[in-house]
Order: sequence, then C-alpha cells, then structure tokens
Amino acid sequence: MKFKIAMALVIASVSTAAIAGQAEDQQVKFRQSAYSFAAWNCSKIKSQTVEHPETYNKDQIIAAANAIAAVANSGLGALFGPGSDQATGWKKSRLKPEFFQKQDEVIKVATAFNKEANELQKVAATGDIGAIKTQFGKLGETCKNCHDSFRLKDDAK
Amino acid sequence: MSVTIQVWDLPLRIFHWLLALAVLSAVVTGEIGGALIDWHGRIGVLILGLLVFRLIWGFVGSSHARFTNFFPTPSKVVSYLKGHWKGHGHNPLGALSVIALLGVLATLVGAGLFANDDIAFQGPLFPLVSKSVSDKLSSLHSLGFNVLAALLVLHIAAIVFYARVKKHNLVGPMLTGKKLVPKDQAIEVSNAGVRRFVVALAISGVVAWGVGSGVQYLTPAKPAPTAAQSW
Repeated sequence: MKFKIAMALVIASVSTAAIAGQAEDQQVKFRQSAYSFAAWNCSKIKSQTVEHPETYNKDQIIAAANAIAAVANSGLGALFGPGSDQATGWKKSRLKPEFFQKQDEVIKVATAFNKEANELQKVAATGDIGAIKTQFGKLGETCKNCHDSFRLKDDAK
Repeated sequence: MSVTIQVWDLPLRIFHWLLALAVLSAVVTGEIGGALIDWHGRIGVLILGLLVFRLIWGFVGSSHARFTNFFPTPSKVVSYLKGHWKGHGHNPLGALSVIALLGVLATLVGAGLFANDDIAFQGPLFPLVSKSVSDKLSSLHSLGFNVLAALLVLHIAAIVFYARVKKHNLVGPMLTGKKLVPKDQAIEVSNAGVRRFVVALAISGVVAWGVGSGVQYLTPAKPAPTAAQSW
C-alpha cells in the first residue's frame, strides 16, 4: 500500500515536472520563433536600404517594419517565465539566469526595443531611405544591448 | 660608446600601428553595434590582410621581422630570464607575447568571418557553413575577445614596466625603427627591399579582398531580395 502511494506520488511529480517543463519549452519555442521572424524582416530592411539600395521597395519595407513592430508590441515578456532559462525550444535557451534578478534592466532594454521598432514603423512609412537606415541602426543597437546583457555568449550550453 | 642600428623596418612599423588602430576600431565598432557592425566586419577583413602580410613578412622581411630570428624556444626564454640574452629585436618573452597576440587575432578574425549576430549581420564566409556552426564560431569570437583583452593589457603593462623599471624605451624604436646599442653589440641588419614589400602587400591584399568580397562568386547566388510574392 505504502509502495503504491509512493509510486503514485513519484509518477504525479514526474509528470507535473514534465508538463511544467513543457510549458517553458513552449515559451522558448515561441520567443525564438518571434525573434527569428523579426530577424528575417530586419534582413530585408538591411538588404534594401544598406546593401542594395537600388532594390528598395517602399511597400515591402513598410511591411517588414510593420512586422517587426507587431512582434515587439505582442507582449513578448509573457514568454519569459521563471525557469525558462533552462528550457529548450528549437534549441537550448541562452537566457542568462540573472534575467530574473534584474527586472528593472530587463524592462529598460525591452522598452527601448519597442520604442525603436515603433519609430522604425513610422520612418518606413515616409519612404526616406537615409532615415530608415539610421533608424534601423538604432533598432539593431537595442537588439545588441539585450543580447549583451541577457544572452549567454556561450552557444555550447 | 653607443651606436644607432635599425631594429624595425618601415613596413613592420606601419603594420604594427595600423594593426593597433584597426584592433581599437574593431573593439569600438563591435561594442557599439547597430549600423557600425558592418564597419566591424570591414575592419576584420583589413585585420586579415594585415595578419597575412605579417605572416609573409615573417619569412621575407628584414632580420628582426623574421620568425626564425625571434622564435622563442624554451632555452632562449630561460637564457633571457637569467639575463644572458643579447639580441636587439623581440626578446624571447616579448616574442611569446607577439606569437600569442597574432595567434589570438587570427583566431578571432577566422571565427568572425563565419559569424552572425542573430540581428542582421553575417561575416563574409557565413554562407559556407551551417547556422549552428556559425553560432558556435560566433560564441568563440565573443569569448575569445576576453583573451585578446587580457593579452593587450599585458602588452601595455610590459611596455610601462620596461620604461619605468628597466629604463628601456620600447615605443620609440617602434616609431623611428632605430635603437641605441653598445658599439660592441652593433650588427649588420639585412634589409628586405621594396620589391619584397610590394609582393607581400599584393598577396595580402588579394587574400583579404578574396575572402571579404570575392567569396560571393564561389557560393550560389542568394535569391534576389526583391523576390517577394504578392501574398
């Protein structure tokens, strides 16, 4: 009897752990997807304004900037639940554990990203390639600031 | 009685100060990121060219530039530490530092050529490897920078130590190429000449250009950036 109760407890705790882990894995998967999708749109903006400005297509750049802003404004913070630094999405998360202790700084870098993404959306609508290029550089800096602060440099994790 | 001898030839000095400037710019642009990351990439290709030039110059340059002249064997290092070394170019400890610096820079450049920043930058050789290999090399590139920073601190600390404690000016000769030595230690220094310099410069230029820009001719063309669908 005791053995059966013990077994039931073990199974219950293992499966809750598995389910909890699964939720965090799912968060990581969503957030990796979101940032990859944003990166795809960034690469289009870079290609058409920085590398090959002769290929600039206003509508495509507006669409790309809208997509980045939509990602930024989608409430990504909800995908950074406790324990998700240990979870695995498409690949192991490289979130630094101190992310959870430095919430003030997290809010700062995250808000900066949102602000520059929204600004890029506005600038894209004007069709001024030079201004888009400059604003795109500012957006890239906010990506990097977060990477520097909260992403492990070591990819072998 | 002291005499002046030539210790560093002009190409070596230009190499040294260009490299110092390029590394400094690479650090600044790499730290700031944003639009400057493209410049970080270009400077990296310049550093590649400088390193290739130094490698060639290590075989064909003037006496003190040659690797065979200063390669730090353990016995040379020991003899230097005991105070018996009597050369004029890189002393055996300095030579260890030179080789470490060049090796780490070569590693950083090599990894950087394949790196990506997960934002909108890829090194010129990124198309030749998979994304996961590029990610590994990117992390090697960032982590390796700590080693470079430590070596640069050591490099500058050693210069200060030689100036203050040993009363030995290392910066002056790297600017003028000349060094004052006791007359009985004066030696004839072979000069490499302009022709070798031009050839070395041409080879390093071609390698840097080939790696930085030419590789696109070897890889399958990327789909046109404007090939977007109506949906």
